[in-house]
This record gives sequence, structure tokens and C-alpha cells, in this order.
Amino acid sequence: MMRMICVRIPQKKRIFEIPGPRVVKDILAETGHRPATVIVTMGKQLLTRDHRVADGETIDIISVVSGG
Amino acid sequence: MKCKRCRKATAAIELRSHNATFCPDCFFIFFRRQVEEGIRKQRLMSRADRVLVCVSGGKDSLVLWDELLEMGYDAEGLYISLGIPGYSDRSKEKVIAFAEARGKKAIIVDLCDEGVPIPEAARANKKHECSVCGAIKRHFFNRVAAEGNFTVVATGHNLDDESGRLLGNVLHWQKSHIARQHPLLPAAGEGLVRKVKPLWRLSEQETASYAFLKGIDFVIEECPMSEHATSLIFKEALSIIEDRMPGSRMAFYTGFLDLGNPVREAMGRAAAESGEFEPRPKDDGTPAGTHLCDRCGAPTLAQTCGYCRMKAKTVERAAQDAEKKTTEAQKASGKETA
Ligand code: SF4
Ligand SMILES: [Zn+2]
Ligand SMILES: [Zn+2]
Ligand SMILES: [Zn+2]
Repeated sequence: MMRMICVRIPQKKRIFEIPGPRVVKDILAETGHRPATVIVTMGKQLLTRDHRVADGETIDIISVVSGG
Repeated sequence: MKCKRCRKATAAIELRSHNATFCPDCFFIFFRRQVEEGIRKQRLMSRADRVLVCVSGGKDSLVLWDELLEMGYDAEGLYISLGIPGYSDRSKEKVIAFAEARGKKAIIVDLCDEGVPIPEAARANKKHECSVCGAIKRHFFNRVAAEGNFTVVATGHNLDDESGRLLGNVLHWQKSHIARQHPLLPAAGEGLVRKVKPLWRLSEQETASYAFLKGIDFVIEECPMSEHATSLIFKEALSIIEDRMPGSRMAFYTGFLDLGNPVREAMGRAAAESGEFEPRPKDDGTPAGTHLCDRCGAPTLAQTCGYCRMKAKTVERAAQDAEKKTTEAQKASGKETA
């Protein structure tokens, strides 16, 4: 089985895989997220846009936009 | 990417609007300075104040409470349970856990116990949930503040909220709203407490990063009513501009604040002239014609305040519904025995 990057979007309850390695900025562009509206995390770590994500790693894309 | 402040640690966050990158420790220093500057520049409050922080269980208000406690403010949390099934229970749990971890106990008002859960209050008063919600929350901010001798009420509104609201107000030239938009709403006479928004300099991404790096557990789901919030459209528009031109949001909002009172006063006058409702304030700041509500004692322009009238309708409607149910049940059981 091929190892890939696991991308989770918890607020939308979505999980999918993409082939790595890939820079955060590109992952956001490909999944249609504007950088200012999300934070990207891996475990307890906050990732900057230039961070290179490797195959086998799991990242979360969390929307920061609140309603009220 | 390295932290531009200490030049040693790996950066965890890149803020293009500030042309900066920070490691977690340096980011907390930056965050503190922004809150301090926001408070100082607009003279929101001082360490002598007793602060009531309105917490919803969402990130912004919990971050605000956390930061004010760390800054040494005398700050207590008020949680208003809106009576929205599921969402209210989950957000309340987060607030209770957050407070406990800091040796605090949140003040909790349950709108079900008060007879005005938001969904029922909206139906009985034929208004949108968010409009009854706003009025009911304001009522309790003032009431709890008066009962607990708080001198100021603080909410977690951030730069994205405030700049988005300003865009909406300007786009529709809502003059009376522009006149009142400010991170500081002064106390007005008896019963209307001062209201402040200490996070007005911080973006939503910054509050979310703070919450994440500090391990603050907040509800990630939104209030189900917020889906139709038009405010999201203005926020989105500004975030598109912000992506292309970092710093635009801050420039837009601080530019407005820098124009100062004359512009807001002119907006208020224009609103009054064009017939938008804008009661003229008395010397002590309370709107003219204000007296105390005959039921709850809150300041109001009518005999009974808006909250008490809303509550009366909601309770009446609930009683009617209950009666209907009993008659239906009686009919059904009558059929069975027949
Ligand atoms: S979205 Fe509307 S109903 Fe929900 S908390 Fe905000 S104002 Fe209240
Ligand atoms: Zn640093
Ligand atoms: Zn309840
Ligand atoms: Zn009243």
C-alpha cells in the first residue's frame, strides 16, 4: 500500500489522502482554502505556509471563521 | 521559516499583515502586546475594573478570558445557555471545563430556566433568532453586571468581526449603526454597563492560533443559527482582500477609529435627520425618555422593557402549546376508551 498525506477537515467531518511531499500553501490552494481563513496543524504543532508535509503524516485544516 | 523576533526558534505562525513570523513563545508576547495596546489606545479599562467576560464556549471569548486572567485582571466569566438543543449543552461543557482548569466557576444563566430559550422566543415573537438573541444577551449582560458589581462587560469580538461589521454598515450606510460602532460603549446612567472589545486588534487567525497553541478546548461547531448570518459575507469579502493586500483589514478599521468622535457624531445626526431612530441622550448618557421597567427595573423607553415584553409573549405561547398538547392527548385517550 502506498503511503500518502492524510488531510482532515474536522469541522466538515472530511478526511482524504493526497500524495506527498507537498507544501502547506499548495495543499490549501488545491483544497480551495484561503490562507487567512484557516490554521493548519499537525499533532500539537502549528504549521506555516512553507512547511513541507511528508507522506505518512496527518494534518488538520481548521477554519477560523466564526459566525456571530 | 525562522521566528523573526528571537531569530532562533522555528516559526509556528506567519502574520503577513504584520510582516512577521513568530515561534510560539514570541507569538504569545506579540498577542499580549496587541491586547494591551487595544485596551490602552481606546481606554477600554484598567486593572481597577471588575470585568465580566461573556463566554460562549467558542475560541474568541475563551481566549479573551484566558488572556485577561494571565494579565492579572479581576475577570469572571458569564455563560448564557441559549437553549439550542445539542449546541448549548456542548458549548456549556467546554466553558465549565475551561473555568475549572483555572480554579474558576463561570456564572451560568440558562434561558430555559428564565423562560426564554432562543428558538421558542424567536417563534413566539416572530423574529429572527439572532435578533432576539442579541436583545436577550444584552439584558443579561447588564443585569448580571449590576448584581455582581462588575464595572465593565467584555466580549470576544475580534478584528475580523469588527471590520466585517463596519464594511456591512458602510455598504448600506446604516448611519445609526456606524454612530455606535466602537470597541468601547460607555456606561449610560443606571443599569447600562460599559461594554468593551479588548481583542479588536487581533484577527481570527491569531485568536485561533493562540487557542490552539495554549491547548484551549473550545466548541468548533458554530451556533446553528449563524448559517444565515449576513456578517459572514462581509467577513469573506474582507478575507479575499486581506489575502491579496495583507493589512487591509487593520487599516480599514483603525482608519475608522482614527476619524474619532466627530465622524460618529455626524453619522448620528444624519441618522436622526433622515428619520432613523436615534434617541437623544440626557446629560448622564441615558437616552431621553428613559425610565425603569415596571417588571425588572432595567432602563427602557417604554413602560415595560423589550426583554420583559419578549419574555411575556414566549411564556404565553409556551402555555398555549402545552394546553393544546393536553387537549390533543385527552382527545386521543377519549378515542381509545370509546
Ligand atoms: S448566531 Fe444568532 S442565535 Fe446563535 S449565538 Fe449568534 S446571535 Fe445568537
Ligand atoms: Zn521566537
Ligand atoms: Zn437549558
Ligand atoms: Zn424589564
